[in-house]
Parts: sequence; structure tokens; C-alpha cells
Amino acid sequence: MAKPEVHYFSFEDLCDVTELTSHVVIEVVEHGIVEPLGNDPTSWVFDVEMITVTKKAVRLHQDLGIDWTGIALAINLLDEVESLRVENEKLKRRLERFVSE
Amino acid sequence: MNFKDYYKILGVEPDADKKQIKTAYRKLARKYHPDVSKQDDAEAKFKEVSEAYEVLKDDGKRAEYDDIRQYGAHDQQFQPPPGWQSGRQHGAAGNAQYEGDFSDFFSSVFGGQGGRRNTQSGFAFNERGRDIETDLSIVLEDTLADASKTITFRLPSRGDDGRVTEVTKTLNVKIPSGVSDGERIRLKGQGAEGVGKGAKGDLYLRIRLLPHPLFDVEERNLIITVPLAPWEAALGAKVEVPTLTGKINLTIPGDSQTGQRMRIKGKGLTKKDGFGDLYAVLKVVMPETTDDEIKQHWEQLAEKAGFDPRAQWSNS
Repeated sequence: MAKPEVHYFSFEDLCDVTELTSHVVIEVVEHGIVEPLGNDPTSWVFDVEMITVTKKAVRLHQDLGIDWTGIALAINLLDEVESLRVENEKLKRRLERFVSE
Repeated sequence: MNFKDYYKILGVEPDADKKQIKTAYRKLARKYHPDVSKQDDAEAKFKEVSEAYEVLKDDGKRAEYDDIRQYGAHDQQFQPPPGWQSGRQHGAAGNAQYEGDFSDFFSSVFGGQGGRRNTQSGFAFNERGRDIETDLSIVLEDTLADASKTITFRLPSRGDDGRVTEVTKTLNVKIPSGVSDGERIRLKGQGAEGVGKGAKGDLYLRIRLLPHPLFDVEERNLIITVPLAPWEAALGAKVEVPTLTGKINLTIPGDSQTGQRMRIKGKGLTKKDGFGDLYAVLKVVMPETTDDEIKQHWEQLAEKAGFDPRAQWSNS
């Protein structure tokens, strides 16, 4: 059985599992695309969510040729769309329980 | 294999210039990028568009493709011309995420996998396997305690000949209790195989909580709608209410209203320091039909109650 392990990653771990150079990861952090705990790269702590966001940021950067500022904006907006979509679905379901056809 | 009309895929004319091709590609890439689009076939479309651009942006490849297109553009079933050999050694594809994923048509025209080719190079070549990201749908009950789930997902696999095909993998996964909707779980080394001494990729699961027939989720709390007869709402009642872990008795006070919420402590979802709460939301419902005798009772009630449910309207 596969079990999830380590939930937190250092700067080095993140570079390792994403196969990104430290330069790219620093860009991603400096643009606030992910916000690790800690004040400098040696003390940064990332979680699994931040790994997937970093990977997504790099994909968008490479595939669509968007600069990092644009990526930060795009990811914020994509997140917002996603959370509004989820909330909308939840509210619709709750409304359906109250409103008869 | 099917002939691919790269011009049609990008929606440009066969005589389109580089700038038009680039613009068309960028527009479609944004539209179908799997990180942006919610469309089911977004990834397939994105690959198709990337492949088309890979060929049309490169003068050499485009010229070769145009030759082939002259030859086979009208055949759905494409066979390379007899003795066809790609005239050039093409460099690595530019698309980092999807390289090695180009179609059979692309491979038959341009050879290799369209991506990093290494099997004939003679050099030791190591590459980490690709990470896989996939959704895992679970029911609310699964989140109460550690749950075991069997998942099936597709991942690329490189054969001995260096060709990449998709294989289906089945895996048992332990889902820790208290997971929430949208949360990600990483399973180290469960992604695609590496090349050479390259490590295996990882598997990232995104948890999706399936809608429950009775309960709605609000952070770590649950909400259940409790239908009440008008007299239960008026007089109060003891009602048996289902929770995720069994039934409980809930005392409804008299003079209750539709929409009123009652908190049942600790009957919500698991959280770090215990459990969230269950909220019972009351909903007064009418019987579907009313016989004459009951109607008489309602009439008596209407005369005596002197209740104006629309009193607020006259104030405004």
C-alpha cells in the first residue's frame, strides 16, 4: 500500500522534486507565486500544495511564454475562478435542497 | 494512422506566415492548456496544437511536412511515401511538459519521438520519470478515519525501443483521515519510470469530495436539511437525524422557522483538534395533498391564528 510521506520540503528538496534550478524557484518565490515559511532560502519550508503550484507556474511559463509577473496574476485568477466555481456548486446544491421544482 | 492537417489544427491557411502561425498557436495554447482549461479533452487538444506548432514554426520541418501534405492530404489513412526518410536530424522539441508525446503521424514523418531521443546515442542517459497529477474522488465517510483506496491512472511508459506508450497502473493508497476537498497528497516514486538511472517520478493526488446525498460541507462542518411538518415546527418535536456516524435524536423547539440552524456539536468532519459540527437546517414542508377533513382544521386554524406572513410588505 502506498502511503503519503513527508509533508514539508526544504528549498533543496523542492528543487530536487521539481527538477528546477534554484534560480527558477527563487523567481517563483520572489513573485509571491508560492509563499514558503521562513525568511531566506536556507530556512524556507514548502508544503505539497506549493510544489504543485510551482510546477504549474513553470508549465505555464514554458508552454505559454508568460513572464513571472503574468504567471503570478494568472495563478491568482485561476485560483479565484476555481474557488468561486467550487463555492457556486456548493451553494447550488444547498439551494436545491430548499427550492422545489 | 491518420493524416494530421497541422494548418487546420492551428486554424491558419497553408500560406500563413510565421507571425500568423505563432499568434494562432499562442491563442490556442492558452485556450487548451491543461492548467487553464476545464474541458475534458483539453490535454489532447493542447498536445495536438503543440505538435502542429512544433512542425510549422520550423522552416525545415514545415517544408518536409508540406511535401507530405501534397502527397497525402486527402487520405484519412496516412502512409508515408515509399522510401520516405526524414532528411534532417531534428533537434529536441521545445515543449518541456509534453515532449515525447507526439502522435504516430509525427513520428512516421520526422522519426524518433519528437522529443529527447537517446536510445541510439550510445551515451549513458539518465532522466527522472515524469510526475503524474490526478484527481481522487472520495466520499465524506472516507475522511473520518484513515481509508484505503484503489486508484487507477494512466502514465507514460517507455518500451525497450524507446517508444512512449500509455499504460494503466493500479495502486492501493492510504488516505489520511481529515483530508479536505482540493488537498494534495504526494506519493513518492509512484509516477512514471525514469530513463537509465533516473529516479521514478512522483504521483500527486488531488482529493475531490463527492457530493453527499444528505450532507453539505462548509469547511469542517456539515449541514443537513431537516424537513418538518408545520405542526412540528409550531409545537416542537423530537426528530431522528442521520449523522455521518449514525443517528441522533434532535429536539426541535416550538415556533421554529424554515432556515433556522441548530448546532450538533462534534458531528462534523475530522479536523486537527477533534471534529467540526453538524448543522441541522430546518425546512417546513407541506403535505402534498390535503383531504377535506384536514382542510377544515386548517380553516379553523386560519380563523384563530390571525397570522399575517407578509406583514413586512405593508411596512415598506
